[in-house]
Amino acid sequence: MARVYQVPRHAFPWLISGALLASLPHMVRAELWLSVVVPLLLLWRIMIQRGRFAMPGKLVRGMLLLGLAGATLYSHGTLLGPDAGVTLLVAAFALKMLEMFRLRDAYVVIILAFFVLATAFLFSTGPLISIYIGLVLVLMVAALIGINHPESGVSPWRHFRLSLTMVGQAVPLMLVFFMLVPRLPPLWSLKVEQQQGKTGMSDSMAPGEISRLSRQNDLAFRVEFEGDVPPPSLRYWRGLTYGWFDGRRWSQAVPPALDRQEYVRFPNGVSPQWYLQLLADRGDAAWKYRVVMERSGRQWLYAMSVPFSDKADVGLARDLRLVRRTDLETTYDYRVTSYLMPVALEGLKEWESQFYVALPSGSSPRAAAMAKQWRDQSVSDAAYVNRLLRWLNEAEFYYTLEPPLLGQHTVDDFLFRTRRGFCEHYASSFAFLLRAAGIPARIVAGYQGGQLNPLGNHLQVRQYDAHVWVEAWLPEQGWVEFDPTAAVAPARIELGLEQALAGFNEQTETGLAAVFRSNPLLARLGYLMDYIEFGWAKWVLGYNQQSQLEFLSRWLGKVTPERMVMALAAVGGSVMTAMLIWMLWRARRPGLMWWQREYRAMLRLMQKRGLNLPAHLPPAQVIAAAAQRYPRATAALQDWQHCFEAAVYRPPATDPELLRRQMVVLRRKVARMSRR
Amino acid sequence: MRSLRRTVSELWHGWLQRRIPPSRQVLLDQRRIFIFPSGYGFFFLLIAVLLFVGGINYENNLLLAFSFLLVSLFLMAILHTFRNLAGLKLVAASMRPGFAGARGALEVRILSAHHAHRSIWLHWPGAPAEELSVEPGEEKSLWLSVQLLRRGRQHPGRLRVESRYPLGLLRSWSLVDLDHACVAWPKPLPGGECPASGGDDDSGVNHQDRGSEEFEGLRSYVAGDSLRLVDWKSYARGRGLNTKQFSDPAEGRLWLEWNRLPGHDPESRYSRLCYWVLQLDQRGERYGLRLPDGELEPGTGPLQRERALEMLALSGESR
Repeated sequence: MARVYQVPRHAFPWLISGALLASLPHMVRAELWLSVVVPLLLLWRIMIQRGRFAMPGKLVRGMLLLGLAGATLYSHGTLLGPDAGVTLLVAAFALKMLEMFRLRDAYVVIILAFFVLATAFLFSTGPLISIYIGLVLVLMVAALIGINHPESGVSPWRHFRLSLTMVGQAVPLMLVFFMLVPRLPPLWSLKVEQQQGKTGMSDSMAPGEISRLSRQNDLAFRVEFEGDVPPPSLRYWRGLTYGWFDGRRWSQAVPPALDRQEYVRFPNGVSPQWYLQLLADRGDAAWKYRVVMERSGRQWLYAMSVPFSDKADVGLARDLRLVRRTDLETTYDYRVTSYLMPVALEGLKEWESQFYVALPSGSSPRAAAMAKQWRDQSVSDAAYVNRLLRWLNEAEFYYTLEPPLLGQHTVDDFLFRTRRGFCEHYASSFAFLLRAAGIPARIVAGYQGGQLNPLGNHLQVRQYDAHVWVEAWLPEQGWVEFDPTAAVAPARIELGLEQALAGFNEQTETGLAAVFRSNPLLARLGYLMDYIEFGWAKWVLGYNQQSQLEFLSRWLGKVTPERMVMALAAVGGSVMTAMLIWMLWRARRPGLMWWQREYRAMLRLMQKRGLNLPAHLPPAQVIAAAAQRYPRATAALQDWQHCFEAAVYRPPATDPELLRRQMVVLRRKVARMSRR
Repeated sequence: MRSLRRTVSELWHGWLQRRIPPSRQVLLDQRRIFIFPSGYGFFFLLIAVLLFVGGINYENNLLLAFSFLLVSLFLMAILHTFRNLAGLKLVAASMRPGFAGARGALEVRILSAHHAHRSIWLHWPGAPAEELSVEPGEEKSLWLSVQLLRRGRQHPGRLRVESRYPLGLLRSWSLVDLDHACVAWPKPLPGGECPASGGDDDSGVNHQDRGSEEFEGLRSYVAGDSLRLVDWKSYARGRGLNTKQFSDPAEGRLWLEWNRLPGHDPESRYSRLCYWVLQLDQRGERYGLRLPDGELEPGTGPLQRERALEMLALSGESR
């Protein structure tokens, strides 16, 4: 084989550490085998660099590539799609390190590393990971500088410093681009979610599913209010409604014959009658707020009733919830105005009054019988509802995260046997009892509560705030919300899950989060992190076409494409010019030789020690004066002087870098020995 | 087609000649530096564009920011790559001649005024490149070998000064005419009779007897004197280096003459003369040179050889 390209010694540390750190986020996230294979391949590369092993031949490399592709196929079932693609990319990137026969291969590896680095953003988008990626980018750029400097004996730190300077200079320009480059709508639809799973609420609910969600500490969304924050008892974040019950599971459903345009109203679509009625009735806004929602992989959004959003791709459904046109694959930022109003609509439609009382025949007969009996004894629907709530409050019901399993007739089993349940049990039974008495009812799923972050005055709503409650159609009133859980465990609404469970001698299992909350210092730290993350989500992740337009219209007046291009050119150009001027100005300054700087450092040290020397004293006299004052440091001082003279008078004789380092060491020694 | 290419090439060279006129000393500045992305630069931009498209499609602002950072890095690299060459001073220095068909060398001195210039590549058209770095205030010299194709003064063309430092994504370069020439001696062509006149007979080459020359005295050694004429005995006695002086007897004087090689074409006449210059120099003979456009007084030693070779090299050239 032809002569193999050797990565310069001073570039190699950056290359290998950059490659490892660039793969690290993927190794942590993805399959276990990746975090074994990548370090092994990099270790192999180190051995090659040290001359222990030779570069593997074509056959070995081909087999390794097949093996990695096979492992990816085995883990993901495909080689396509972002998830499998990135795994394969990271593995192939590490393998490419073993195929470096020319300078070109080194370039390809480094430019690929940029790609690997960027793909980390597909999976996590926090501020910390962004800083991390930026730092790894500096390492990779240092490696790039190194391979462009084929001389030997260069300090690797020189590459690092230059790289840091260049990346630092690039950042302001990046910000200009970030703010001014027009945001385009997606060119074609891409979906990341395939394997990533959906989080939070699902489109159906069976006993035990919400309580499982309650053990998760993940953030669902944050809310920032304009003005006052509503009290906990009003913080009901509606996400979706379940209208169909099969005896165990409640599901989101509408009759198949229903016209979608009639059901969901999007801003630029047709406005159905019920929507116009809502607009006419809505009166003054009660709450104005901004929600920054984490990726959910779902299309429903959370808001307080009755929500109106400013987004073009967000519609209002007939069951008074916000729906986005497409699933949320990234953090999503939307503003909502909520109106407190009776929602009578124009009355229930024919299909609604049938649909919202439907129950599977023969399911939970005892509960159904009780419902009919009690309704007959009550003067009105409202009285019946109140009787039910009183009963739940007074009878021996327990609020627990660990409810016992229920038999075939779930409602009967819960109401008359176990009586231990979480919100889904209460909501499910309550809605059943309403429907069995002929009152239209549905279950509302979403979140309840949220913790206030005093730093940003915003609410954090986490998965453990997941909640379900019930809406019933009462004549003259329309849809009215009832929370049966509140009847059993009022603390859940007022104080949150943890306190509510504590009232029933139970603990949440959010573990670390609880520790965080109980320690005031850690809690403050937690708030600070949350505050930063929220700001990040609002200003960085949430900066979209709309916020760009708002921002630009403040500067440009009317935003036209020409003005945007001109603004970009003007601001970007002036940043570039400023950099150029700075670089040239820095070059104009007479540069000191390294030994002059070292001499100044020595003078400063002596001044710090209180040795006041007249200016422009020859070095020999400085050293003599210092030695007189600090006899212990005499040897080190004299050695330093010898080095200095060697540096000044015989530059080519010795390696300057070596000499410089030696002088620094000696100066530190002097500093130590002259300390009192 | 061909003529079109020639026209373009002529226009280019004419423009270059006006923009960077030949000079023994050139300071690289924005007028003289060209800059263009390298292949890797385009690859890098392609990656940035891919990330941009990915960022748009996944609606991922951080992917977009990363792609903008890469583009900004590229723009910064333009400044740094330019700066790496800007302020570099190139000075034409000495020359090392060679025989036609072999190689000569030209010395270029590289000076840095303000800042460091790293990984600078220098080469003549069609020759392999040499790499060097200069630190601030430093001066370095570089011998660049030149292929000598024919006898005479050779201009190696414009010196290409190129750098891709620091990122290799861009190439900045300049084409500098240092008004530098390398002299090519004729290629020695052995054989034939010695084309010399003088001495007893015209073919009298084998003057081994130095006795026929009359010893005149000693003078102190000057560089270029033949070592054969140094008075080593007096040197051993500690009287310093002295050169023996001989009076030139008419018969000890050899004139290598162009006119004595009739029937040959001019270039092979020069080649023969060159061969004999080397022969006579090796033997320590005194010789002179007579060419149609000049004459060299007889003498011996390296200096005489240099002069003779240079005369042979440059003879016939329009001045």
